[in-house]
Amino acid sequence: MTDPSTWVDAYGDRLFRYALSRVRDEGSAEDLIQDVFITALKSRDRYKGESSELTWMTGILRNKIFEFYRRQAKEVPLLPSDEDAGPEAEFFSGRHWISSSAPRDWGGEPARKAESAEFSAALKKCLDALTQNVARAFILREMEGVPPQDAAAALGIAPAHLAVLLYRARLRLRRCLERSHFAPEAA
Amino acid sequence: MSLLPSCVEVSKLLSEALDSGRPLGLHVRIHLSICAVCRRVLDHFSLIRRGAARAPEEGPSLSNEAKARLRRALDAG
Repeated sequence: MTDPSTWVDAYGDRLFRYALSRVRDEGSAEDLIQDVFITALKSRDRYKGESSELTWMTGILRNKIFEFYRRQAKEVPLLPSDEDAGPEAEFFSGRHWISSSAPRDWGGEPARKAESAEFSAALKKCLDALTQNVARAFILREMEGVPPQDAAAALGIAPAHLAVLLYRARLRLRRCLERSHFAPEAA
Repeated sequence: MSLLPSCVEVSKLLSEALDSGRPLGLHVRIHLSICAVCRRVLDHFSLIRRGAARAPEEGPSLSNEAKARLRRALDAG
């Protein structure tokens, strides 16, 4: 394992960007990185070298992010609110899509566009436009890949409530990303 | 009344399927076979998932002050 005095320069920025993309607050992201380095320092005997140090520390960071959201949900519980109502009215009229909200052809190479730095920037803006409840659900489930049962438990909500939040997040982000990134010319 | 689910129902079922991992039902698959717009939804949800799960390669860096704080914490740790 490398000398801990080199970690800040070697891994600090990449861990910070990862944390910031998930918690969306610089102060919280810095606190998480500090936690990661201290945890890594104290548990370095357990590092077996099976993955890179960065991968190992990113794993520690992901646990910290999950705990961050669990703690936040305890401090500010998700309350039943308008989030419980389905988003149908925004997107549908009767049984069908409203034409202005109907998904368009993203053309070109959307898979490549989904892996670009511009996508990350657009996603950040679109996430900022979601309500906190909806954003938390999306970050845990889709960005962090937390299984639905665990994400619901961490957020202190029922799985059915999580499904509603995720449905709303996906519909809104899909439309926002389409207009800002994937097919802006069609907006 | 149609036997096939509507676009509203299909979009909801597609979102749920992403979490349950269960295969789509026959009625949903029939709807998708005739509805290009809902087929896009499935593609778009999947693309967004793939893009969102990636670690950002570009973006802000730690400030010098933050780096100094982290070094002090490591020294004290």
